[in-house]
Amino acid sequence: MTVDSKTRRRLLKAGAAAPVVLGAAWVAKYAHAQADLGAYQSAKINWKQAEGEKITVAVIPAGYFDALIAVTPEFQALTGVEVRYEKVPPGQIRQKAILDLTSKTGTYATHAADPMYYDLYVSNGWIEPIQKYLGDAKLTDAAWYKPEDMIPAWRGANSVKGQLYGVPFDGESTLQIYRKDLYDAKGLKPAETLDEVAKNAAAIHDPNNRVWGAALRGFKGAGQNMYIYPSIFRALGGHWFSGGTFQANSKEGIAALEWYVDLLTKYSPPAVRNWNWPDLADAFSQSTLGLYIDANTSASVLNNPEKSKVIGKIGYARWPKGPSGKRVSSIWNWGFPINSALSDKAKRATWLFIQWASSAETQARTSWKAQGPVKRLGLNRLSLWQSKEFGALAGGLGANFLQASIDSMRQDLDVDWRPRMPQWPAVGETMATAIQAALVGQQKPREALDEAQTRIAQILKG
Amino acid sequence: MRGERRFALALFLPALLLLLVTTTLPLVYLLWTSVQRVDLSMPWLSGFAGLENYAKLGGDRRFWSSLWLTFVYTGTTVALQVVVGLGLALLVMQVRLGQGLLRVAAILPIVLAPVVAGLFWRSLVLAPDFGILDFATRALGLGSFNWLGDPQLALVSVIAIHTWQWTPFAFLVLLASLAALPPDIYEAARLDRAGPWQRFWHITLPLLRPAIVIVVILRMVTALSAFAAIFAATGGGPGSATEILNLYAYRLSFTELNLGYGAAVATVLLFLTLAVSFGLFVFRKTR
Repeated sequence: MTVDSKTRRRLLKAGAAAPVVLGAAWVAKYAHAQADLGAYQSAKINWKQAEGEKITVAVIPAGYFDALIAVTPEFQALTGVEVRYEKVPPGQIRQKAILDLTSKTGTYATHAADPMYYDLYVSNGWIEPIQKYLGDAKLTDAAWYKPEDMIPAWRGANSVKGQLYGVPFDGESTLQIYRKDLYDAKGLKPAETLDEVAKNAAAIHDPNNRVWGAALRGFKGAGQNMYIYPSIFRALGGHWFSGGTFQANSKEGIAALEWYVDLLTKYSPPAVRNWNWPDLADAFSQSTLGLYIDANTSASVLNNPEKSKVIGKIGYARWPKGPSGKRVSSIWNWGFPINSALSDKAKRATWLFIQWASSAETQARTSWKAQGPVKRLGLNRLSLWQSKEFGALAGGLGANFLQASIDSMRQDLDVDWRPRMPQWPAVGETMATAIQAALVGQQKPREALDEAQTRIAQILKG
Repeated sequence: MRGERRFALALFLPALLLLLVTTTLPLVYLLWTSVQRVDLSMPWLSGFAGLENYAKLGGDRRFWSSLWLTFVYTGTTVALQVVVGLGLALLVMQVRLGQGLLRVAAILPIVLAPVVAGLFWRSLVLAPDFGILDFATRALGLGSFNWLGDPQLALVSVIAIHTWQWTPFAFLVLLASLAALPPDIYEAARLDRAGPWQRFWHITLPLLRPAIVIVVILRMVTALSAFAAIFAATGGGPGSATEILNLYAYRLSFTELNLGYGAAVATVLLFLTLAVSFGLFVFRKTR
């Protein structure tokens, strides 16, 4: 197999050496497209072993997946596996995937999966353990693929009982995103503690001039307000389970919700109750927020010259510490699992696709090497984050973006950021409802969490 | 005779089969699912549950609050539609010119898909700072309101959306019945010196009763099964302030993946709707 790829390269070199005969421009292009595969062909596996297979991949409509789609012809040339993409909006991809998995139709060979859903998938036996493929020397060249280089907490987040079930493709960490110009003018530093967040917000807050001190996701949903609340809860030292049972209304839980409600009630525009991350990014871009805490990948939106009025005025910092000194970022990543309902050959083809997409080379080709307008930021390997090329790409996004992101991914990722359990869809939804009920004043934080606790206990009983 | 029957059966059979497959089967499957334990997040518990899902409803506070919201939502929207619709119909009866135009205009909200109505209200009418309504209240010096972000206002808002969309239906039906009322009775009443209020109370309303009851039945069924407009406008929130039974059943089944329990909630809604319509039909016949 090694011989195969070496001969191929030799032939290619020979082809590229005869430009005069064939027309310089055409050959240059041809040689470029083909030589590109060399980076993959140095892996000691037979990329063509599932040739002729067709797989469908469900992704969400997002720039980072568009970048992957753009380089997929290279994968098809490399493996002879045909890939069809289906774009499903983020609000529906979980339901569509579950519909497919539960009916065992094998429609989606793999899909962009929410890390919180692996427990559910695994308890139903819907997806394959990745180790089966990772450990097989015929399928994976570990020395080339370097799986251990992928961000450990993301792998942890996509694992169930220590077994990896989904390979991270793109992800994020949560950062403070603040208006450096406003902070500098008042002599403020980005908050180091939760208390300082409120202090900074109070200093910046000036609603009469349409500047609000701070905002966080307020919209109801497991991936919306239940994305930001867990970081506060964990920073305050909360644990989701006490003695094996789920605990929503612990002392720390109530304190976290009180902090959240208090901050948003005092320093956010009233519409924050229905804001998700795009609304926050819009408001910040329009220069109406002093601070918000959200995904670092928002940086590309905030630096869109067509929409943003704050380019060059943005600063980034890690999540503030809780009283124990703990900072807790989200471990959000889109991973690729392998559908168990596939034939063996299709599973192999799917694994080759996943290995290709998550390899350092493809990660680079969808980022700084990308030809198109979108250059991905959410790369899955720290070695890439620290590379010179990525540094050049990320340098212009605002003060301290790169360092804050790297520090945060190294030190602040917490696998138990949210409660990992098969019942997560119901638990997350119930928590989200309670958080919003408290935010809009329908219930006091304690009442809201007491009610959530009762309901979740009922759900877990079955 | 037998040949004729067979012929009738042959004509009737395709439609019957189609109806069985598209309506009866899913209904039976719903009932079957509602007595099963089907929770995708806990597949190890799957099995026959008997009436367990129904028994669980008793202790589910969110179920009771959504049931209460369903009553509030249905009651107020139907009452508003009948009152506003009748008022408009009486008013338009006086209009000589351009009545046809008004009728056409009235149809417009009805033909709008409810999900579009919900989104339209959410983003263009009720949005704080940008919406038309907020613009109006600010211009009048009443200040800005968070129409969909405040629990009470959100409920009022979704009721307003539904009323806005469906009042024209009541209006059109009642207008048609008004036009069909015999003029001689009114003339006789006038000769007997009956005032306008007496004429309305003793003549118009009793004569319109069948039409009003039909409007109430149809509007109740629509209100009980409302989904898309609320889903688009508030998603049942904030918190669970606008989560009527239909939305709760959806959330249970498709977000929380507890299909068995979700089916039980949907079944309750089904029987509730049947009971209400049956009651009204009986009421219509007996008086």
